Amino acid sequence: MEPILFILFGAIAVAGSIMVVTRKHPMASALYLILTLFAVAALFVLRQAHFLAAIQVIVYAGAVVVLFIFVIMLINVPENKLPVERLTALRFLGVAAAGLLILEGAVLARKTTMPGGTAADSGSVQAVGRALFTDYLLAFEITSVLLLAAVIGAIALAKKKI
Amino acid sequence: MLTEFATVLVFIVLGAVTVALMLGVSRLLQPRDQTAVKLSTYECGEVPFGSSWVQFNIRFYVIALIFIVFDVEVALLYPWAVIFQRLGLLAFVEALVFIVILMAGLAYVWKEGDLDWVRAMQENPAGKGGK
Amino acid sequence: MPLGNLASVSRFLPELAVTATILLLVAVHVVGKNRQSSASALLSLAGVGAALLLTALQPSMPAVSLFEGMVALDGFAVFFKALTALATIVVIFMSMDSAELSGKSQAEYYVFLLSVLLGMFLLSSATDLVMLYLSLELVSIPSYLLAGYLKGRKSSNEASMKYVVYGATASGVMIYGFSLLYGLTGTTQIAEIGRALATGKAALPLFLAAVMVAVGFGYKIAAVPFHMWSPDVYEGAPTPVTAFLSVGPKAAGFAVLVRFFYTVFASPDGAGGPWTLSSPVDWTLLFAVLSAATMTVGNLVAVNQKNVKRLLAYSSIAHAGYMLMGFVLLTPAGIQAILFYLVVYLFMNLGAFYVVILVANGTRSEDISDYAGLGSRAPFAAVSLAIFLFALTGIPPFSGFIGKVYLFAEVINRGVYWLAVVAALNSVVSLYYYARIVKVMFLEEPAEKAELAVPAFPRALLCLLAVPTLLLGVYWEPVIRVAANSVRLLAF
Repeated sequence: MEPILFILFGAIAVAGSIMVVTRKHPMASALYLILTLFAVAALFVLRQAHFLAAIQVIVYAGAVVVLFIFVIMLINVPENKLPVERLTALRFLGVAAAGLLILEGAVLARKTTMPGGTAADSGSVQAVGRALFTDYLLAFEITSVLLLAAVIGAIALAKKKI
Repeated sequence: MLTEFATVLVFIVLGAVTVALMLGVSRLLQPRDQTAVKLSTYECGEVPFGSSWVQFNIRFYVIALIFIVFDVEVALLYPWAVIFQRLGLLAFVEALVFIVILMAGLAYVWKEGDLDWVRAMQENPAGKGGK
Repeated sequence: MPLGNLASVSRFLPELAVTATILLLVAVHVVGKNRQSSASALLSLAGVGAALLLTALQPSMPAVSLFEGMVALDGFAVFFKALTALATIVVIFMSMDSAELSGKSQAEYYVFLLSVLLGMFLLSSATDLVMLYLSLELVSIPSYLLAGYLKGRKSSNEASMKYVVYGATASGVMIYGFSLLYGLTGTTQIAEIGRALATGKAALPLFLAAVMVAVGFGYKIAAVPFHMWSPDVYEGAPTPVTAFLSVGPKAAGFAVLVRFFYTVFASPDGAGGPWTLSSPVDWTLLFAVLSAATMTVGNLVAVNQKNVKRLLAYSSIAHAGYMLMGFVLLTPAGIQAILFYLVVYLFMNLGAFYVVILVANGTRSEDISDYAGLGSRAPFAAVSLAIFLFALTGIPPFSGFIGKVYLFAEVINRGVYWLAVVAALNSVVSLYYYARIVKVMFLEEPAEKAELAVPAFPRALLCLLAVPTLLLGVYWEPVIRVAANSVRLLAF
């Protein structure tokens, strides 16, 4: 069952992200992004990372995409004035390079064993909580300073004049 | 644990099927004679005017930004609540430090007046730009 | 054995001082009335000064690992903490004098500046991938905000935007490399990663991961080919911020580059040595090419610049290339040369930018042509700038020369002669464009003859920057000894 679900959600995620970058209207891109983020959340669940899956839905699909949509509405480019993206040689090259990288990664992943993340419940909320408040406590506290700088930065940026 | 998520999967599948079914059946049964009036946007029986794409006030954006930051904060406190009883006082202090640092951010937002929605709208009724 | 969370707090005082100052800045801003008052600057000075003092007083012997292995407290970390705190103090003074920033709300600026400082403290001591990534973001995100602080100026907005896009891409690539490393080893501790990889298995995935990680670090030090953001950001950002970015985060970037590669790749007994981990590529050659490319691109493009800030931006790319020379062989002597060069670079580069600020305060211009006749209009500033520029060129008896001697010595000792030749040729090129500014200042007639007043306080600060620049050129023994000690203690 698991491999089938993995392929299913993986395919949804990849297809969704292709749609995100190829849609003409940014609003459509944003909606496809939600689809992709949900599919990735499902992949997290399959890897037993339940907490991460919840965060993915709450923070990314819930809050970040809403922010994207606000920005799209704020800039509000009329449909006939949307920039036309042209296919340049550089873009093809970029896609080819990305494909090569993915291929390399796949080949290497098949050839090497990856021992990381072996514990069965390492992604549960309890396990994350334990790690966050014991081993990774400093990282947790520093996050608050980063968030503080971010909130002040957000306000300062949105103002016309500081 | 994974089986619990099966419920979610079933829910998603059922939801998708229901929507597809309703739209599909309606598509099969509906008579199709489209006129200009029928195709226009429904605006409470009035004749629609202008575009439904209006420019959002930048204040939505500011609020959304602040929301994200505090959303992340709450998300990080969720595992704390789960293990709180096991770690006891130490965990309480740890979370307290975290919250106090972020409270400084809230105080800043408050002082800058970005939480006063009504006042800001009166000052700037056109709804263009922030402070 | 790493110390626990509670036991670590008492060894974490400099960071706590900076954090407390950030909170105080916000509190004062919330309570206070005057947004432009210099209270924020003075408070920041006190806070960073306290952090510097606490860093100096901190016993770094023996080196310990803090917070369950998140950060290390060793001579290397202490060295970089002192260096970045010192740079921040100078930048705070520069910001107080800058006309660009006066009339702007002050508290936010200093909150961002101190957040970057906290990030740099952590970046130079992080020994865990999670902490490393987080501190890199703590350096980056407030830096974006600082670069875009002049919201009325288009180039400042552009700077911020470009910085964000490049920064996000680089850190995305880097964290992908981290995930590969975690997958290969099952741990986030860099020391354990080094131990796990020392078996020599999985050489190819390791190479891929290390290259991706190097992208993130290379972006922070603005090494070619990850340098594209820096000229635009350096030109558009407020000048004190440019000075800060060219010294502080660059130093922290070198710290993390050295610590990461030294811990993961050098032999685990701490003796160091040139790239002990087996690999399908020649790391020395790879980084030597990177170093040569960085200095060459930086210097060649700098030749044609008309804006002083942009010229100094390219010159700072070139200097990152020189410093990479010390990294190429991953030997203690090479790293010692980097540390020494960073100290020298701090004084000469901040000094040069300080003169740019003072001149811009008077002329509202950063074009080289407007420096004409500065020798007669503001002799003090002009002579100081000449000192800093000659030091940046690296000609004796200025301190830049000694810094370069140490960098060259290691490369030549280990037989990478071609790199030394490239670097020497580059120094010649750099002499051309640095000397051009000096020529414009002293030999060309000014369009306007009025004297440019430099107040007493900036004069004193310029002296404080110029004296070490000169002194380290003749008496550098203590600094090199400190640098040597700092390398030896790099244990975790």
